[in-house]
Amino acid sequence: MLGFGKKGPTQTQNAEKQETLLTLSILTLAAILSPLFSSFTTIITYLLTKEVKNAGAGLVAAAFVSIVPGYISRSVAGSYDNEGIAIFCMLLTYYTWIKAVKTGTILWGTLTALAYFYMVSSWGGYVFLINLIPLHVLTLMATGRFSHRIYIAYSTLYCVGTILSMQISFVGFQPVQSSEHMLALGVFGLCQIVAFVDYIRSKLSKNDFETLYTFLIYTVGILAITVGGVLTLSGKISPWTGRFYSLLDPSYAKNHIPIIASVSEHQPTSWSSFYFDLQILVFLFPAVVTLLLISYTFHCTWVTSEAYSSPSIVLSARSHDGGRIIFDDFREAYYWLKMNTPEDARIMSWWDYGYQITAMANRTILVDNNTWNNTHISRVGQAMASSEEKAYEIMKELDVDYVLVIFGGLTGYSSDDINKFLWMVRIGGSTDRGAHIKEWDYYSSNGEFRVDKEGSQTLLNCLMYKMCYYRFGQVYTEGGKPPGYDRVRAAEIGNKDFELDVLEEAYTTEHWLVRIYKVKDLPNRGV
Amino acid sequence: MYKILALLLCLTYVTALEKVNNQLINKNVERSIDLTTQLVKITSTITLENTGRESVRNFLLVLEPNTVGNVSYSNVKDSLKDDLKIVRIEVDNQKDKTFYNVLLKQPLDAGRVTTVVLEEVLTKSLIPFPSSITQKEKQLKTEVSLSSRTVENYTKLKPVVQSDSTITYGPYGTIQPFTQDEMIIHYENNAPFLTVTRLERSIEISHWGNIAVEENIQIRHTGAKLKGPFSRYDYQRDTGTAHHSIKSYRTILPASAHSVYYRDSNGNISTSTVRPRKEWIELELRPRFPLFGGWQSSYTLGYSVPSYQYLFKNPSGEYVLNMRIIDHVFDDMHVEELETAIVLPVGVSDIKLNTPYEVERLGDEITYKYLDNIGRTVIKLRKTNLVEQHIQDLEITYNWKPHLLLHEPILLSIALFLSFVCVIIYVRLDFSLSKSEHSKKE
Repeated sequence: MLGFGKKGPTQTQNAEKQETLLTLSILTLAAILSPLFSSFTTIITYLLTKEVKNAGAGLVAAAFVSIVPGYISRSVAGSYDNEGIAIFCMLLTYYTWIKAVKTGTILWGTLTALAYFYMVSSWGGYVFLINLIPLHVLTLMATGRFSHRIYIAYSTLYCVGTILSMQISFVGFQPVQSSEHMLALGVFGLCQIVAFVDYIRSKLSKNDFETLYTFLIYTVGILAITVGGVLTLSGKISPWTGRFYSLLDPSYAKNHIPIIASVSEHQPTSWSSFYFDLQILVFLFPAVVTLLLISYTFHCTWVTSEAYSSPSIVLSARSHDGGRIIFDDFREAYYWLKMNTPEDARIMSWWDYGYQITAMANRTILVDNNTWNNTHISRVGQAMASSEEKAYEIMKELDVDYVLVIFGGLTGYSSDDINKFLWMVRIGGSTDRGAHIKEWDYYSSNGEFRVDKEGSQTLLNCLMYKMCYYRFGQVYTEGGKPPGYDRVRAAEIGNKDFELDVLEEAYTTEHWLVRIYKVKDLPNRGV
Repeated sequence: MYKILALLLCLTYVTALEKVNNQLINKNVERSIDLTTQLVKITSTITLENTGRESVRNFLLVLEPNTVGNVSYSNVKDSLKDDLKIVRIEVDNQKDKTFYNVLLKQPLDAGRVTTVVLEEVLTKSLIPFPSSITQKEKQLKTEVSLSSRTVENYTKLKPVVQSDSTITYGPYGTIQPFTQDEMIIHYENNAPFLTVTRLERSIEISHWGNIAVEENIQIRHTGAKLKGPFSRYDYQRDTGTAHHSIKSYRTILPASAHSVYYRDSNGNISTSTVRPRKEWIELELRPRFPLFGGWQSSYTLGYSVPSYQYLFKNPSGEYVLNMRIIDHVFDDMHVEELETAIVLPVGVSDIKLNTPYEVERLGDEITYKYLDNIGRTVIKLRKTNLVEQHIQDLEITYNWKPHLLLHEPILLSIALFLSFVCVIIYVRLDFSLSKSEHSKKE
């Protein structure tokens, strides 16, 4: 697909100039792609359900899928993400698969393979498909409903689909090596055997067949275990990945890979958001369905307009008199960076803001939302968690020009860097070079994470703390509270009067949400 | 602080174009130099006396050598306030100087006296000193007439008097031709020093009744540069109005403007207010961040106006467009570079361009919009160093046939029609090699 977000400095200029008969820039296309594909999804849902049941059921299913908040949140205009396309691809593959199973033609089998290829090229979640379809075939086999049609459909899909998917560089040789794909391969082999056995059975007498059958079962079984064992030991079949373990054991990631656990998507859904998405449907489904459906439709519309359609880059709040206050600080800061820093400036921030800075400020960042390079992220975490002098060494080593932090203490924005700070400490301490950073140093003597006078001295003097609270000690934030009152942590900050030695404030946005510091040059010798 | 501006205007006249006529003298010259803004505005009232024997039709103006590149706009009016024609020429034996020939409306007879008013606007003549200051310091400028009483220092060429915010030099007696003297004044000037470094204006004409105007504007604070850190805390505490940073400014749009948008590459800029007035629309624009010395920003401002106010049909059947080459960005603006593009409708011919002052015409281009297969002619104009006085109309005349209006709707209809025809034919054809089972059953 269109590589978006990781581009050179002339990204926007180029995008504007692509003109054809229909003048569409890449940006416009990216913005409308998700809604376009979600409308395809409703059509394919109708076709799929119609294939399974009838046209009436298809319409109901299409109506449902068009108002599901979880899907809407991924397909609003402007949310350019794999999922917007992948859901459509997935349903398309199911539809073509059912068609292939029903007709038993190579044509439909090939179409399924093409749909599967599209799915593979758009999203890593294709693994789900390549396990579910073999599972379907396996179930049919176990229930004795295996037929020539299924044999043709699956064999075509597996052969064509696998070869196609291996063309994607991200997938490569995984379909024949990694354990996640073994079910598909195994079922493919089983299909051949079952079909072959059926063929032999039709040609041999019953006694002859049984003798042959017993012999083959033992031979093949022993052979498979030996080969599998050898390949696993020699590393040809990749060992079970972290993602697989976290499926079996939800606490695996948390205990072993902090970066996986820190991503909000990888954390278990809270009951409140489950309710947010499904409302009373959860409890009262068997009751008056029509009424509920209407109420559900209204709820979905409300959720869509209130929660999912508003851009998360602009925050809004209600003032005391009921008016609307807009916090446009993120764009303010990113545009300041774009306009008033050298074009080759390198900016250090927590990885959450990496893509935003790349796209909106057009500057080089150290770490971004592609969290693959987690030792590098760990290094940034170490800089944030260290004292100023120690952090200066790391920043000079990483060639940092500016540092950006998100601070919500003035406005009460709770997803700021101080609230994420423990993750930085954990991730920072998770590698060898950060062995000196220990999570317990950042807790108070009672084992709490606090920013007031009770907080640990390590926390009160680390770089992140100083950048967030620089000169904040003089600011009155709320009536009746002392200056330097942090509205998120509901505490008066513990370290107020300090100066920065190695940094200087370069810019702070109107509501203090984003603070940017410039890393000072090394002092001249002898000074 | 070494910006030099010559004090004396040297005025002479000639009978033949190339020679300086020593018979025409400046009987009296009064210069008022306004330094309250970022521009230097000079108004000179000159009394000319013809001491020769023949009447004269023109006189010569000469510019101070070191202000030549700074003069953005100059204009001469006679005593009846009519504009006089100015042409740049060269004079024998004086090749190093820049001369302008001014044609008088009425010949000046021997022994008679007349008064002309010369108006000049100079850009980039005020140099901040010190050139970089911290957030709390005041901005000081080096140059000629004043905006506040804080005058640090000025050239003392006697007789000279300072009272409040005015320094008066002179009167000086008989002065020889081509004499000049420099004047340096060091004073406080916290007026916004905002420069439009580049302005791309695009005017797109639609004969459906709309003219879309879009301006891509790059601005920079050209006052004293900000030294050291920017402190939001100090900035929020400092409520004084006379601060050198720029928080917001006003842009004036035509009264009929509608569908106004104000955005940059990161989307809509949420801090702007539109105030409709009787004669115009006032736009209060706040950049995403306050501008300090040396900081820059850029944005896009666009709006639409109905075409009946600007586009006319003359008796010979040609269309005439009258629109501003450049429009107001902020008061006392200074535009370093302007590029105006006029996108004409599909299929125009015989384009004639008429500009109120000299502009560089770049090569015509062709652009394609939605469903455009012919393309539209784009006229591109460029000019550097502009000020408010350059807000004037240009005139474009062209031929155009009204039936071209239907070109795109017809194109679309045909395309749809053809695709339907294809479908109609397709469903009537049978591509199967053998009859399918269903049809057998039927």
